[in-house]
Amino acid sequence: MMVHVDNLTKRFNGTLAVDRLNMEIPEGEIYGFVGANGAGKTTTMRIIAGLLAPTSGKVYIDGIDVSKEPLEVKRHIGYMPDFFGVYNDLKVSEYMSFYAGLYGISKQKCMGLIDSLLELVRLTNKKEAYVDTLSRGMKQRLCLARSLIHDPQFLILDEPASGLDPRARVEMKEILRELRSLGKTVLISSHILHELSELCTSIGIIEAGKLVASGSVQDITLKMSHSNQLKIRVSEKEEEAVKILMEMPGIGSISSVSGIIDVNMEGGEEAYVRVLKTLVEKDIPVVSFHPVEGSLESVFMQLTKGETQ
Amino acid sequence: MNMNPILQKDIKTKLRGWRSVVLICSYVLLLTLILLVYFIGNNMVAPYSRQSFNPRMAINGYNILITFQFALLYLAVPAITATSISSERERQTLDLMLVTKTPAREIIIGKIMVSLAHILLLLIASMPVIGIVFFFGGINFLDLIKLIFFYVLTSLFVASSGVFFSTIFKRNIVSIIVTYIFLGLVTFGPFLVFLAYALIREQSGLSTAPTYKNLVAYLFPSPVFGFTSFYFGGSNMYSMVSSYYGYGMLSSIAGEIENLLAAETGFWKHMKPWIVNGTFSVLFSTLLVFLSSIALNPIRRKK
Repeated sequence: MMVHVDNLTKRFNGTLAVDRLNMEIPEGEIYGFVGANGAGKTTTMRIIAGLLAPTSGKVYIDGIDVSKEPLEVKRHIGYMPDFFGVYNDLKVSEYMSFYAGLYGISKQKCMGLIDSLLELVRLTNKKEAYVDTLSRGMKQRLCLARSLIHDPQFLILDEPASGLDPRARVEMKEILRELRSLGKTVLISSHILHELSELCTSIGIIEAGKLVASGSVQDITLKMSHSNQLKIRVSEKEEEAVKILMEMPGIGSISSVSGIIDVNMEGGEEAYVRVLKTLVEKDIPVVSFHPVEGSLESVFMQLTKGETQ
Repeated sequence: MNMNPILQKDIKTKLRGWRSVVLICSYVLLLTLILLVYFIGNNMVAPYSRQSFNPRMAINGYNILITFQFALLYLAVPAITATSISSERERQTLDLMLVTKTPAREIIIGKIMVSLAHILLLLIASMPVIGIVFFFGGINFLDLIKLIFFYVLTSLFVASSGVFFSTIFKRNIVSIIVTYIFLGLVTFGPFLVFLAYALIREQSGLSTAPTYKNLVAYLFPSPVFGFTSFYFGGSNMYSMVSSYYGYGMLSSIAGEIENLLAAETGFWKHMKPWIVNGTFSVLFSTLLVFLSSIALNPIRRKK
């Protein structure tokens, strides 16, 4: 297990920011951390990164206790905060060298490393540019490159795409996909839920400092869906198809427009097979047939009540 | 051995461009002007020295220069260090530093080294101006080396105080104000306390004058106490010059301290004010670095 959070609690002057939170992230996982503003995401991430002491509870990174061996843990962690500053009077390469120095990386090793990281974040052509000349998206990418300078196995990315324009978001998403292919374990928070559902292998939903759901995106959406939705497209016999479906057991509401029939029904995959088989047997020309997955947004809205600590 | 990355970054960014060159040139020019104005002024008022310099005047010029440098050190170092950590916090770069495997202690030491490097640069740049007095004699090179060493120790004390308050207080302005207040208290407070002690002694009818050890017991934290060693250069000639020209409060304090030191025997005879205060500076700075490291350590921080 790359990350193991055990009964983590954090209080700020009597206010409970994180409440007995338990979390596990296996190696190679991209774990999306979802929650409203003030839900406790950043506090949890800062504690995991060793930047904040918990009131109680333990955090282990690759089996190492963060509170007992903070320096050892930092070798394994790359951290990108939601808000961060840069040294405007440094060039991009100098900025990277500075952090390489803080990680104790030798100068010889550093130069090749910086080149490959800048290539990864598509900033090679900005190597000799001053940091203050970079756009917001470029600064975010530079900060991501900085967090990778010591080749950590675990990355903590707090809202890495916040404040970025659509193009910069896409670029950031592509880079994160590359990180996934490199086998990094990533804990990422974001408000853009559909982006998380595309990127993440699993998610955790936090509200008022408590983890209200955790698991794979499919598991959570499936668990939270009260009924399954089917989308069927027929080339003709639309009315006949609707009639057949209405007579079948377990079928809830049906709506149809221009050959597309939306069906709410009970049951899992077996029920889907039964529906398709019946339609085909009754000579309904089915063009497409697919279950509609519940969206992360709807799951999030169902699980949270908008409470913050 | 790798250079501290914080020091390396600072040297790289601060010495780049024309600003630092202008700053150093202005500083050296200012020192030269002070010396020049002093010489011209004295030549005009002292009729016997119209044709040539009076060596004793050169020594007094030296006194003025080193006092100016000492005051500048006291004003400049806190300005550099009292914002060293709080500005990282305000700029939102502190977390990025703390998340690296560089321990908080090394970050603190790096910040102190930055200010020491700046002060050393200014001191070295000012050497040719101070060296003018060597033309007239009265001061030996060892005195100058000792003075620079004392400046470095005092800078260490001032810098570690600035970094400490910068670590404790989140806002730059609060940190700067508290640092200056603290330094003011440490510098002048012991003199006020000693004055009160002397008055109480007098009112209590104790006729014996305080000894050098009494003085050390009260004044050891004050860098001004240490600086008095150099104001006279430790030589009788300095005392004579100082008395002759009736140099204000500092010269009379320095004269008194020198007389009391001369009356000591054994171990204390060698414990000149600059050695006492310099030792205090090193010990207190070590304590402040330790406390700053604890305050900066994220695992030990509450917020």
